[in-house]
Amino acid sequence: MSDARASTPHPSQTDAVDGTRRELTDDERRERFAAEALPLVDRMYAAALRYTRDPNDAEDLVQETMVKAYRSFHQYQPDTNLKAWLYRVLHTTYISMYRKAQRRPQEALQEEIDDFSFYDELARVGGSAEREVLESLTADEVKRALADLPETFRLAVYLADVEGFAYKEIAEIMDTPVGTVMSRLHRGRKALQKALASYARSRGLITEDPEADA
Amino acid sequence: MNPRAEDPGRCGDADCGQALHRLQAYLDGELPDTDLDDIRQHLSDCYPCTDRLSFEEQVREIVRRGCSEEAPPALLTRIESALDLGGRGPGFTAPGFSA
Repeated sequence: MSDARASTPHPSQTDAVDGTRRELTDDERRERFAAEALPLVDRMYAAALRYTRDPNDAEDLVQETMVKAYRSFHQYQPDTNLKAWLYRVLHTTYISMYRKAQRRPQEALQEEIDDFSFYDELARVGGSAEREVLESLTADEVKRALADLPETFRLAVYLADVEGFAYKEIAEIMDTPVGTVMSRLHRGRKALQKALASYARSRGLITEDPEADA
Repeated sequence: MNPRAEDPGRCGDADCGQALHRLQAYLDGELPDTDLDDIRQHLSDCYPCTDRLSFEEQVREIVRRGCSEEAPPALLTRIESALDLGGRGPGFTAPGFSA
């Protein structure tokens, strides 16, 4: 199935004389990995923190990811998105390191969020004040709101909104259909905004709506 | 079911078919090219949807900002040595020790 793709020579891996693919030498591989993958360590650590929600686990996850990625770097197609490929490795490494042990069932968003709208809640404070409410949310509150989302929703929202991956890339990273990514994003974003709204409410930045159920 | 879910920003236009998920897809850069003119035209006519779009953009911005991190410097060192990327790989000759 992947044969056609695997046997397609890529210019940077193609011998100029006979057009056949050759493996990068160890030195070339090391150089390319150091130049292209290592600069992404900060980003991957940030992602790993959202995955594991623990700084020590995040460090272990990034290290293990980079070791695995380096070992299978020959499988990376040079003309594709390296960052997406590394995140795919990060995701599978996370599952093998942390989820296997727990074997927890797929989480779902249990609560009813379809009717919730942070936008409408903020509209009640009115004018430019609504933007100030958003701006006054702290990084810590944002992280906690995200951390409290069920895992699959948290990861989809993070990969889209923070990392800017396309739906198709997220589908590949999470090994799930594009339609599933889209529904996780839609519900995950709503749930995230609900959590952010509750932080804003608990700090008195927005007030309870007396007619919330009207 | 819930008119608001399909009606961002209390868009009052009876013809307003721009649901929240379409605005999100637009922000995600995932709307097909054929829909772009349509939604841009709608946004230029519809203040509630434009306001909703900028709200959604701002939420994403605070999430992005809130999630930025720097890896501990020791992590990079650990990775480099685990990968043997610190210049100690095969073929490396320590300066001063070569012939």
